[in-house]
Amino acid sequence: MRSAFLLLPLVFLVSVLTFAQEPGTRVPTVTMAPVGKVQLRAGGSATVELDFRVGSEFHVNSNKPHSELLIPTALHLTGIEPVKIAAVNYPAGQDVSFPFAPTEKLSVYSGDFTITAVVKASAKAANGTYPVSGELRFQACDRSACYPPRSIPVKFDVTVLNR
Amino acid sequence: MKRNALVFATLLIAILAMLAAGKYLTRARKHGTITLVGDVRGVHAPDFELASLDGKRVRLSDYRGKAVLLNFWATWCSPCKVEMPWFVDLQKKYGNDGLVILGVAMDDSEAPKIAQFTSELGVNYPVLLGTDKVSEQYGNVQFLPTTFYIDREGRIVGKDTGLLGRGEIEENIQKALASRVAGVNKANTFAAAPTPAKAQTSAQ
Repeated sequence: MRSAFLLLPLVFLVSVLTFAQEPGTRVPTVTMAPVGKVQLRAGGSATVELDFRVGSEFHVNSNKPHSELLIPTALHLTGIEPVKIAAVNYPAGQDVSFPFAPTEKLSVYSGDFTITAVVKASAKAANGTYPVSGELRFQACDRSACYPPRSIPVKFDVTVLNR
Repeated sequence: MKRNALVFATLLIAILAMLAAGKYLTRARKHGTITLVGDVRGVHAPDFELASLDGKRVRLSDYRGKAVLLNFWATWCSPCKVEMPWFVDLQKKYGNDGLVILGVAMDDSEAPKIAQFTSELGVNYPVLLGTDKVSEQYGNVQFLPTTFYIDREGRIVGKDTGLLGRGEIEENIQKALASRVAGVNKANTFAAAPTPAKAQTSAQ
């Protein structure tokens, strides 16, 4: 029985070595929180807050990075008639210096950030629920390296209520 | 009881080892192409042919007998930009000793944009336009910068992922240069990329 306890650390070590990810295999994550109910009247508009979270130790470029070579975070949404996307508003990025370029400031989002979308229903919109879908495109880096651009799906429903 | 515990532990280790091997083989045989995964030191660098920024076709095997620093980068990768002036200096310092630096741009950008970028940084070594295939050959390069150090006999002697210090890069270059060439003219020292038919067979 004592041997079994002595073997446990060995088993643990083998497990860790087996499944430990080699550097450069961690995938940066950006997740979106569920969107609450979005309701509006025909001819009206509503502002929808879309909350995103960047995985710890990573950052993504803001929508207005300081260099045209950097890939901005961008939200592309499409509504189905009679719902349209009137505007997408991005938060300002945080200006941050990283160890790889201490004299340069990059405009980034890290942790939680919120993008707002203004949705409008046409004046003749019938009562009903209409899907809005699209994607958030981002390019993430950590303190020493960068990952290729990725996209995550973005979806929510808009309910038009005239009465 | 004691024996049961030992049997249990041995079985657990065996299962973990099999899972690890399965994971390795699944990744290595993706799309029927043998790719570099795990510790790649000592492995022959897969040969490739890529277009350079000046429109030439460049093969890794063109540089047989030379030590090669193969750097995967992109214009949108800020840490990559930090290394490039070091590579310019190191190419000057070790070029006469037989070092060739090859940049592989993993951009979606057009070649002229990449050329403008490298020209502004004074890049003095060939820059090639990366493809998904070469990325797969080198273990699905996702993390930029990623650099392979290849000795004169075409063997990988080191791999860096992420930005390291210039000193570490120079140490790896010296390791790559240290190997002596044996029978370089007799055979291609770089591993040929498998043909689709061969790759299919090996994946079965």
